[in-house]
Amino acid sequence: MKPLPSTSSKTPVKFRMPTSENLVPIRLDIEVDGQRFKDAFTWNLSDPDSEISVFAKRTQKDLKLPLAFATQIAQSIQTQLTEFRSYQGQEMLTGEKIVPIKLDLRVNHTLIKDQFLWDFNNFDSDPEEFAKTFCNDLGIEDPEVGPAVAFAIREQLYEIAIQSVATARESRNAKKGRRGEYSSISSRSTGAALDLMKLFSNRYSVVRKRKEWDVYEPMVDILSNEEVNALESMEERKPR
Amino acid sequence: MASTEPPAAVTPPSSKPNLLPLASPTIITPSAAASVAVAPTASSSSPATPSVATPRPIPSDAEVFHIPSYSCWFSLGDISECEIRCLPEFFDSRSPSRNPKAYKYIRDSIVKQFRRNPSSKITFTEVRKTLVADVISIRKVFDFLDAWGLINYSPAALNKPLKWEDKDSKSSQHAADSPAGPSLDSTPPVRETSKRLCGSCKSVCSIACFASDKYDITLCARCFVRGNYRVGLSSSDFKRVEISDEMKTDWTEKETLQLLEAVMHYGDDWKKVAQHVGGRSDKDCITHFIKLPMGEQFASSAEFGSSINKLNQMKDDNNISSSSSPSKRLCLSPLADASNPIMAQAAFLSALAGTGVAEAAAQAAVTAVSEMGQGEPKADIRSLHGVQGLQDASITSNGSDVLKSVEEAHSGVNPKPEEKKVNVEEVEEEIRRVAEVQMKQIQEKIVHFEEVDSQIEKEWKQMEQMRDILFYDQLNLLKHERAIRKSGQQAAEGVRTQGDYVS
Repeated sequence: MKPLPSTSSKTPVKFRMPTSENLVPIRLDIEVDGQRFKDAFTWNLSDPDSEISVFAKRTQKDLKLPLAFATQIAQSIQTQLTEFRSYQGQEMLTGEKIVPIKLDLRVNHTLIKDQFLWDFNNFDSDPEEFAKTFCNDLGIEDPEVGPAVAFAIREQLYEIAIQSVATARESRNAKKGRRGEYSSISSRSTGAALDLMKLFSNRYSVVRKRKEWDVYEPMVDILSNEEVNALESMEERKPR
Repeated sequence: MASTEPPAAVTPPSSKPNLLPLASPTIITPSAAASVAVAPTASSSSPATPSVATPRPIPSDAEVFHIPSYSCWFSLGDISECEIRCLPEFFDSRSPSRNPKAYKYIRDSIVKQFRRNPSSKITFTEVRKTLVADVISIRKVFDFLDAWGLINYSPAALNKPLKWEDKDSKSSQHAADSPAGPSLDSTPPVRETSKRLCGSCKSVCSIACFASDKYDITLCARCFVRGNYRVGLSSSDFKRVEISDEMKTDWTEKETLQLLEAVMHYGDDWKKVAQHVGGRSDKDCITHFIKLPMGEQFASSAEFGSSINKLNQMKDDNNISSSSSPSKRLCLSPLADASNPIMAQAAFLSALAGTGVAEAAAQAAVTAVSEMGQGEPKADIRSLHGVQGLQDASITSNGSDVLKSVEEAHSGVNPKPEEKKVNVEEVEEEIRRVAEVQMKQIQEKIVHFEEVDSQIEKEWKQMEQMRDILFYDQLNLLKHERAIRKSGQQAAEGVRTQGDYVS
């Protein structure tokens, strides 16, 4: 059965975050005079750029960081926003795209491990809602976990979106050589996307295989102080 | 600022006890820092329990949170008109993540977080780390709550000038401060000691005067220098008071009454109002009138006559806020034109009071003017001013309603020949601004339509591509068909010729 060319599959769409609101995940990792500041939050693209310096100043003041941080923060945010905007004019392919999202983060004393499937094509999706429900359902007390979860989801969606822009570009170049080869494009789409057919290859039930249950179950761990310290020192050593 | 009547009458209906399940929180509203002319008194309003006669003992296990009296509309249960006006981007459905539910979530979380530790100030960064939303939405709500004293508000902070004070009210706060100091406790309003006239030479004090708190005497600079004080005073008893135009005189009750009467009679004709009041320039009259606390002070005093009560009633009737106590509010209006203090004040008030009240006020002013048989063009101009300020202040909301009502009021008023001098340039300026605003709106619409246009074009191209594909397929089919037919025919012919050979 040849899939009909509908608007949802294979036709290019303008690049954007596949969520109801075009919020950009911003990650900060600034080091000034030996002081390191790491942060991650979401930024609304429709806000004017004048907000950037205001926000940077505010953050620097609230956290009592030295003045040099304010300019660095503002610069970093500006760079990331510009990068996002540079993708915006381009097209990305959105075939049937169910992507796995993995959560593997530590926020203060809470360790979260989870994996689930996300419909990349659903432009009404809301990672913030998901994060709030997640924290409510799992009874997570630390309020900083919610934003971290939403951020992690957004970051991964952002990565996938960037990849699909790249594949769209590739396929457009390929199209110049070969006409009518639509089926090959879908097989070339990002490795992160699972083929729906394969996913539901088990024709007898839609229930997940037992061995995969652990992977897809959320796991929340509360760490003690020593464990936190140990993990932190490991993280420090790794990228540096 | 707060109500002066006993708390029994004041029960904000919308506030619900939802902070603690056990004890209902009592919000006590201490007198706010003097943001407007006279220092207010304290009042208490109980949100949950029915109010009894004064003074109600606070249940010992209730949580008490202090918020300024001008924020008594706030309740964790709902969203009030004031919030909708100050933060319109959450309520105009322009962006999907900025909706009332998100606003309520952010607001409630911030307030709860602050109230967990009310003695320490909460910073924006603390808050935004714990909220699942984009940081600028959080910042906007945070700044709003901060400005209204719903968070980071403690009695010790009252002496600071409030964020949205403009230069006019700053000068009046200065006056309130100098004699009365921080007006935190519930002392009755302290009248300013600096009077209009010098005590000895009976001349109007200007620029600077010397006031003695001990003996309640004011001397102009000249008298002070000359030493014209009575026996028993020495020069050290006096302290120098710098006064601006507004402050050199204190508005006595009589003067205020005269002012209000004049406004009722003459409406917008400030020259006549100034004449009626006597001794005040028209600018003074305007600024003082705008600063008047509307309502309680004058409603209680019988000698002020029905005109004042009518004015207050009108304002009361149109009071949209859930709080039943008529109190003057200030609202942060970033759109106010700061260069024109009157327009700024009008914009503040109209932004705060909302279009309904502003509509009614404009109508009342216009009808009052028409009743007195004043020149109609004057009313035009003043109403235009009002309309301009209102449009500026409520650009995204129903400014058109106000315009409509003003136009209706106009049609009712008979045109009369112009008698007074009119400030034509001001009018033109206002008209120009209105036109600019309209043009901006139109431009935005054009941009939007262009976008829609390009989108439609793209879709059209896609359709064309699909059509091409179909056509191609059809062609292929036809070709195959024809090829098959031909080969069929050939085969048939081949058979026939063979048959010929055979036969």
